Amino acid sequence: MYSITTRSRNRLAAVPPSAPSSSPSPVPSSSSLSSLSSPDFNLQPSSLVLVPPSGRHGGALSQIEEMFETIVDSLAIGEELTIPYRAARSGGDPSSQSQDRRSEYVRFPGRNIHEAQRFEAIFRILELSHEALLSGNLITKRNIYYQNIDLYKSQGMVDELVDNIAYTLGVGREDLNIVAAARGLIFGPISLIMRGGDALQCGLPTDNGILLPSIYSVESVELNEVKWLLVIEKEATFRTLAASQYPRRCPIGPGVLVTAKGFPDLATRRFLSILHNARPQLTMFALVDYDPHGIAILRTYKTGSKRLEHEENVTVPGLRWLGIRSSDVLAVTDGERLQSSYSSQNISGQESTGSFQDGSHDRRPNKRPRLQRRNPGNSATLLTQGDRKKAVEVMKDIYANGEADDSTREQFGELQRMLMLNIKAEIQAVDDFGDITNWLDEALCRN
Amino acid sequence: MSKQYLTAHTVDQAHPTEVFSLAPTVHGLLSASGSSTLCFHNTSEPSFPLQQKITNAHKLGCHHVATSRGGLGSVAASVGFGGEIKIWKRKDDSGGWELWWEVAPTKTNGGDVWAIALSADENYLACTTSDGRIHVWDLVARERIQTYETGSSTGGGSFAMAVDLSQNGKLTASGHESGAVYVFNNDAGRIAYSLSGLAKPVRAVAFSPGCKRLAAAGNAGVIAIYDMEHGEHVGNLPAPTSRPAWVTSLDWNETGEYLLSGSLDGKVKVWDVARGACVATHSETEDAIWSVRWLPKSDRVLAPGMSKGEMFCAAGASRSLSFYREATGT
Repeated sequence: MYSITTRSRNRLAAVPPSAPSSSPSPVPSSSSLSSLSSPDFNLQPSSLVLVPPSGRHGGALSQIEEMFETIVDSLAIGEELTIPYRAARSGGDPSSQSQDRRSEYVRFPGRNIHEAQRFEAIFRILELSHEALLSGNLITKRNIYYQNIDLYKSQGMVDELVDNIAYTLGVGREDLNIVAAARGLIFGPISLIMRGGDALQCGLPTDNGILLPSIYSVESVELNEVKWLLVIEKEATFRTLAASQYPRRCPIGPGVLVTAKGFPDLATRRFLSILHNARPQLTMFALVDYDPHGIAILRTYKTGSKRLEHEENVTVPGLRWLGIRSSDVLAVTDGERLQSSYSSQNISGQESTGSFQDGSHDRRPNKRPRLQRRNPGNSATLLTQGDRKKAVEVMKDIYANGEADDSTREQFGELQRMLMLNIKAEIQAVDDFGDITNWLDEALCRN
Repeated sequence: MSKQYLTAHTVDQAHPTEVFSLAPTVHGLLSASGSSTLCFHNTSEPSFPLQQKITNAHKLGCHHVATSRGGLGSVAASVGFGGEIKIWKRKDDSGGWELWWEVAPTKTNGGDVWAIALSADENYLACTTSDGRIHVWDLVARERIQTYETGSSTGGGSFAMAVDLSQNGKLTASGHESGAVYVFNNDAGRIAYSLSGLAKPVRAVAFSPGCKRLAAAGNAGVIAIYDMEHGEHVGNLPAPTSRPAWVTSLDWNETGEYLLSGSLDGKVKVWDVARGACVATHSETEDAIWSVRWLPKSDRVLAPGMSKGEMFCAAGASRSLSFYREATGT
């Protein structure tokens, strides 16, 4: 099992991100994209990012078939039926976990009715996964639940069983060809070339975000000239920016917006992780609320979550925290404004990449008064007791992981400061009557 | 008449992170920060040398440290972001601080511990909780002897962000997120005054040394002064601007004439309380000030020719400890 995992990991690394593509030239999107791409686009395959195939299906498939064989054998000799099953636990020593990963079983008929039901539920999921792996289709967790509502009782039960089966087999959830229903949204002048050959354009001016497909159904990503990717916690902010075509108008160049509508789902995290590995040069930023949950979301994207610790390719270590921080909240716009030392020069250096399309480059003033740090604005609200507990929880988590890099120290310090100030603020705190683009321009340039 | 205070010394980068709290003794100053280490600087020498580093005091950092006002300075208490209280003790003035005992976060009945204050005789510790309670501990007996409730009987009071004990030991004051200020009579074990006047979260409360006045301040930006004989609001120390910065810390000098305040905009002010006027302002930094403290008067002579003037210290987001002394002689 482990040799398979290792091999596939090597294979992922072995695919050079800029390998010349054997796939059909991905410009079916020509009408809108041709103006974005330079004329010699076809000579620059570097904007095309190949998505390495997941490549571990064989492992999951053969393991499931092995289990089925064991069950058939047991049936033949009239023994109790067993399926290995372990709950993914948070914390603990990972090395000891891998040793006794197979030491727990669910039995049939089992000791009680619950175990029998559990056996049936796990067996059904394995069966569906087996079928999906053979046919090459993906099945959603939602779909599994609706196959037999009475058996699973709740969607949460299905989610837990699927994650634990993946953990027991030592594979990722998507290696079972089981995915969560798409929740993430993406918007920007890029296109996703699907394994079927279709191209999914993510930046049509008529759209304000399309559902993010599973990364494993994507063969390659045509990044065109995008310079940055911004993950936004809030869907509302995402929609507003998408509707205003911000990814095309940003002064530092075109970019991509992504949101998972709150706490990130696995599909969105995996999409970002794989894109990040394949194209580290594409700077990824996160824009989250200034509250303990916002920082927890940032950390989940960046370093992963405890429940899904066994999943691979789900982190974006290079993700940068764009905001919002206490310094954004502490800035006030009223009172004495100081003329900015921040000149338009920073921007003009890169303006060539920022002007495209019909040349109607956005004419927002580049200068913006420097904000004086004072009291939190009116948009800040008091922390609840729950917020304060959550903040301490995240701090304990950071401490337990022994992380000591600069960005973690910053998160730690901001959590302490948040507790001292006893305030939180939503992303909207930095906008200007609903328009966050001024703040974003400055923040993106600064970073 | 304005007073002049000069920078006596600055300990740059005293801590690797923001300094959240200061607690002076006669000859030294404890400081707490976002790091796990508490520092104790000697304030009797002109260079303010670091005398002791208490490492691994609070793994998640420390937000409050307290010594008694007017006490011997042989006991100190500190609270970590994890909610644990540690009580420190030292044998004599030259000895180092040692952990005496500890109150686990679970032993405070629900709400997380926030602010603390030590009684002048160093026998009692008052601590506030996020659900609005004020617990009083007997440090020698190591037991909780009193709990003041400010919410309903089921808890749910407003977060108590500040606490102080009067030097005569008779009163306890608490400042709350709701803007409420409560004064409790320790002998009777019940509330004495419920004070209004500040509608916004209260971040600091301080009894005057004679226990006749209570000062309270916070997000409203003004400092309210209350009379403790009748529980009346006797005045505000006015804020000069329309949108004054949040006041984070208050401290009375030993005579009760002057009040020191620190605020989020980095300003440190000295107020003449009787005249209701600000007599000195220091704004060397734009970084938030989290704590200001007068240093108890001692016979220290910092430099030849320098008198025994009053001194204070300010610290905050700049990570430094800034010591100021009164300018004397003409």
